[in-house]
Amino acid sequence: MSKILIVEDEAHLAEGLRFNFEAEGHAVQTTDRGEDALARLLKNKENFDALVLDVMLPGKDGFAVARELREARNFIPLLMLTARGRPEDVLKGFESGADDYLPKPFNLAILIARVESLLRRKDWTHSTNSATADRTAPDTASPDIFKFDDKIVDFRNLQLRAGNQTFQLTLMESDLLRYLIKNAGHPVSRKAILQDVWNLNEDTDTRAIDNFIVRLRRYIEPKPSKPRYLMTVRGLGYQFEAKPKD
Amino acid sequence: MAAAVALNVTWIIFHWRQVVPLVLGIILFGVLIAGMVVNTIFLVREIRRNEQQDSFLNAITHELKTPIASIRLYLETLDSRPLEEAKRREFYRIMLEDTDRLLGTVEQVLKASQVRQGSSRQNWQEVDFGAVVRDALGLARVRQHLSDEAMAFGSEPSDGITVLGNAEELRTAVFNLFDNAIKYSGEKKKIVVDLLAPNIDTVSLRVCDHGVGIDRKELKRIFKRFYRAPNPMSGDVKGTGLGLFIVRSIARRHGGDAYAESEGEGRGSTFTMRLPRIYRA
Repeated sequence: MSKILIVEDEAHLAEGLRFNFEAEGHAVQTTDRGEDALARLLKNKENFDALVLDVMLPGKDGFAVARELREARNFIPLLMLTARGRPEDVLKGFESGADDYLPKPFNLAILIARVESLLRRKDWTHSTNSATADRTAPDTASPDIFKFDDKIVDFRNLQLRAGNQTFQLTLMESDLLRYLIKNAGHPVSRKAILQDVWNLNEDTDTRAIDNFIVRLRRYIEPKPSKPRYLMTVRGLGYQFEAKPKD
Repeated sequence: MAAAVALNVTWIIFHWRQVVPLVLGIILFGVLIAGMVVNTIFLVREIRRNEQQDSFLNAITHELKTPIASIRLYLETLDSRPLEEAKRREFYRIMLEDTDRLLGTVEQVLKASQVRQGSSRQNWQEVDFGAVVRDALGLARVRQHLSDEAMAFGSEPSDGITVLGNAEELRTAVFNLFDNAIKYSGEKKKIVVDLLAPNIDTVSLRVCDHGVGIDRKELKRIFKRFYRAPNPMSGDVKGTGLGLFIVRSIARRHGGDAYAESEGEGRGSTFTMRLPRIYRA
């Protein structure tokens, strides 16, 4: 049984969600304040397997809650649920650290499937982490592992190891890095990233991608201001190089 | 004095080649500065208007989509899960409440658009304003499950307070004032309603709450279309920013006005709607 925390200030929606997730066999707790969710997850260290987070909350909004969680290195699987469904809002949600984003009104079956998918991912991460701890070295032959120089990206665990440091990636960071690696050696446009990674139309403001790139560079580049692996292709987008020319 | 003026004028006449460009330069500079000031004022206004429209779009999106999302969630639950009769009834009740909320928002938007379209005097008649206020107060109590103490008349309104106008619009304005007081009263509601006739040709409806209050700087702005006062104490209150705009527009259409008073945040507010009264001796 998984534990789900629902942060939703609309009482009817919160109760409807609680009823359905409980019917699916999960233990559910609800709160109507972002501050309360942060206190429970960060201060009290309460253990939840997934977080369903509304954006338009009284006090701290969902974007701020997600950002604070990720800054505190809390990588609880997080699905944002909100009436704000414009592409800019979706990108802002991903940028603030959401793993998935579903605009209201939503289809119940899809919502449950998305949350179950996040829970499965958490289970994989947990089991693979245990196995990795036993083996000490990751299985670089796996399609979910990519190695370049002294760095190893573990897409299944959403982890990136650079030297002695291990970074936990959000689902969106991981998906973007996987896409860039898949196209290694070739430039990819911002519009292509929007469409292929986030399923967003090309009219969307592409600046959010730049913020993701800045974050990825902090993980993989020795000097993020002088990138060698993740380069800007002026006027087009970005290009990943696994073996940069010195 | 006269000699000094004469000397100056003489100097200007003899040096007109230097004076003319200097005067023209000063005028041009003044025009430029005035242009910049006017431009900045318009820019700030435009930014404010855009911000208000953005905030309205967000609010209306939330107010429309949230009840729809809730109704859909409960319909799908009813459709996909075996439920006991009591649970089914509970879900039907929730969906009905959401439908009412949705209807309320749609009506607010339609009314706001209606009141902006000039001052047609169609359907105007003599309206027993006392009866309108009494009915609206009763309805607000029932809809919001309020006790008699939570919302009451300060003094019972006297009979024969009549105004000339559109009864439906007046009902909307009164109900919006009550709804506003209820929404911003917090948990412990104590709303006092007074219908006064300060003189023979004026009727005044005062709605006094002990809620979150309003910053004095915001007292005028809250009647603007789409405007929602940034009050940390009212963070939970959802709305479209149209309710008070509708109140003031209706009051003005009827030859009256609406205004707010408050000692500041956390110190309650008093809203007053004044209307011309038909007085018969």
